[in-house]
Amino acid sequence: MRLLLVEDEPEISSFVKQSLVEAGYEVDTAENGSAATQLASKQAYHGLIVDLGLPDQDGIDLILQLRRSGINSPVLILSARRSVDDRVKGLEQGGDDYLTKPFALAELLARLRNLLRRNAATSEEAARLRVLDLELDFISRRASRGGEVLNLSPQEFVLLAYLCRHAGRVITRSMLLSEVWGMRFQPNTNIVDVHIYRLRGKVDTEGREPLIRTVRGIGYVLKDR
Amino acid sequence: MYSKTANSLMRSAAWRISLWGALAFAVGTMLVFVMLHRFIANDIQRRSDAWLTGEVAVLGDVAGRTPKDRLYSRVVGEVAELASREVPYKLRSNSNENDFVFFLQVGNDGALKLWVGSGDGLPNLAAIRERKFISDVPYDLYVKGFNSPFRTASMQLDDGSHIYLGLSEQDELRVLKNLRFRFFCLWLLIVLFGSAIVFFVTKRMLGHVRKITEAASQIGQSDLSRRVPTSRRNDEIGHLAQTLNHMLDRIESSMHQLHTITGALAHDLRSPLTAIRGKLEIALSGDFKAEQSEPLVSAIDELDRLTEYLNVSLDVAEAKADALRLSLTEVDLDELIRVMIGLYEPSMSEKGIHVNLRSAGLVTVTADAALLHRVIANLLDNELNHLPASCTVSITLGVNEDAATLLVEDDGPGFASEIVHQIFEQRVKGRDSKGHGLGLAFVEAVVRAHGGSVTASNRPKGGALLLISWPRGSKANIEVPHSLTLVNR
Repeated sequence: MRLLLVEDEPEISSFVKQSLVEAGYEVDTAENGSAATQLASKQAYHGLIVDLGLPDQDGIDLILQLRRSGINSPVLILSARRSVDDRVKGLEQGGDDYLTKPFALAELLARLRNLLRRNAATSEEAARLRVLDLELDFISRRASRGGEVLNLSPQEFVLLAYLCRHAGRVITRSMLLSEVWGMRFQPNTNIVDVHIYRLRGKVDTEGREPLIRTVRGIGYVLKDR
Repeated sequence: MYSKTANSLMRSAAWRISLWGALAFAVGTMLVFVMLHRFIANDIQRRSDAWLTGEVAVLGDVAGRTPKDRLYSRVVGEVAELASREVPYKLRSNSNENDFVFFLQVGNDGALKLWVGSGDGLPNLAAIRERKFISDVPYDLYVKGFNSPFRTASMQLDDGSHIYLGLSEQDELRVLKNLRFRFFCLWLLIVLFGSAIVFFVTKRMLGHVRKITEAASQIGQSDLSRRVPTSRRNDEIGHLAQTLNHMLDRIESSMHQLHTITGALAHDLRSPLTAIRGKLEIALSGDFKAEQSEPLVSAIDELDRLTEYLNVSLDVAEAKADALRLSLTEVDLDELIRVMIGLYEPSMSEKGIHVNLRSAGLVTVTADAALLHRVIANLLDNELNHLPASCTVSITLGVNEDAATLLVEDDGPGFASEIVHQIFEQRVKGRDSKGHGLGLAFVEAVVRAHGGSVTASNRPKGGALLLISWPRGSKANIEVPHSLTLVNR
């Protein structure tokens, strides 16, 4: 998949590009609005990553301009401001997403995947999900491992389901907070870790291969192989 | 209702101004009238005195020249009678003249020699005798049986007898009384009318001031780009409005600067932070052993803490300057707190802290959801960080007509006594606190930005108590710090 990264800071641009390439995307970069418009008119992109503070143009205006010229690829907005402009919220409702700086690369990748998948509109919510020997039934809302039913609370089921849907990918704490609990803030305490710890106590019981792995400094990952 | 409007009327500046104005005007005109009255009274008296002295001289002449025979009393009486018809200021031509003027001659033995007038003249004589001295200028003589005094002139004849000519002051007094009555009526009318005019004029003037005040207070609460109404007239009130608008221009521009500065600061710090964090993450994703990755992990942790500190500092600064950007939505506080407790409960029970909630059910408030989440999270973080094991946190959500109240109390050690009064100040924290001292400052700033209030105290039984009162008003009623659409840089 081909992405366009519009970011004027070369430092940020370089490492974001590097990690996107590592994740298997083809990436073009533009340093300002006019370069982005030119690139976007020549080449079709599956997704755009746009920084709001561009030297020549406001990022939102750029997005609106691209939309008007018929480019409907999903946009991930990067914003340096902590409270997000109402106009960005408006775009978010239109299917785009935003991320405030500084962000975790894992989160950038996860949100980008979400966006691209949402746009493709392929993933029907499956009634059952299997990751290795872990099995989730979304109708009865029950999880089992190796055929043995796990005694999970509804909250723990949602948490595990989110990890399973993104199995093999790193999930940050703030992603869990926003996706599972609907809260967008940076916790000062280890509240999320305790939830994971409890879930792990039920999923990775003694004698079984641990599935939920902590990626220190970043978040968690559910092993899928 | 009526008494209420009357009360507010009495307290208005227009009322006081017209009251004092009317008083000053009334006293002033009264003084002028008193002087005028004295002048007129003196003038009337001077004229009647002139007549009296003239007549008494004529009568004295007649009495002196007339031979003292039996015709004497008749001649002098006729002359006196005649004189009384020429009385000045006579109002009632049909009245009994003798009631009005008297003529009296007293011999040197003090006996009544001649009397012209009504009655027998004995009371007049008695009154004259009572007067010890005889003056050449006319004087007031009070006679028994008459309401008004007689202005009396006297003269000593060559034979030692005295003649007296008296003129009743009845008419003079009536003229003055009339004058006073008419003046009083006119004066009352003018004072009432004048004060009414002053009242309505000042009320109109001060009405402009009130409009300016109302507009200014609304500007203070919501939209800084608005201005107070200006009048075209170039008077003091016009100047006031212009000055206020000028001041608002400056406030708006400094607010704009604050936004620009915080925006620039956020951007300038955030971009390098993003770059550093990203590079550390890429480095971390390489193959490391646990010991090697440890410095990277702790660096990322430190960076996240720094970012959070930066965010909260900027939020508190903006909220203190009433410049926090709020995007308001309806939030069910009850549901939010249940979710939050669900989120914090495992960590709390890990530490041996119990949480219980008493709620009045659905409580909708209008708030910036993201900020409200952080407020509740800060409160619970606080409990989690400062409560020792086996304590209980009680959260009570109540609601009344115009506010939702959130009461968070615990049975822990409470706030340190030296900081309990300044707990909402930035960077004020307990001695053992590991936090950055911004949590409660942030809570207070956000609650205040939403038009609510928050108080912190220690419970008498021990433990901390935090009470947040959050207004339930509709979107329009809530204080929305002005929305400068400053584009993120």
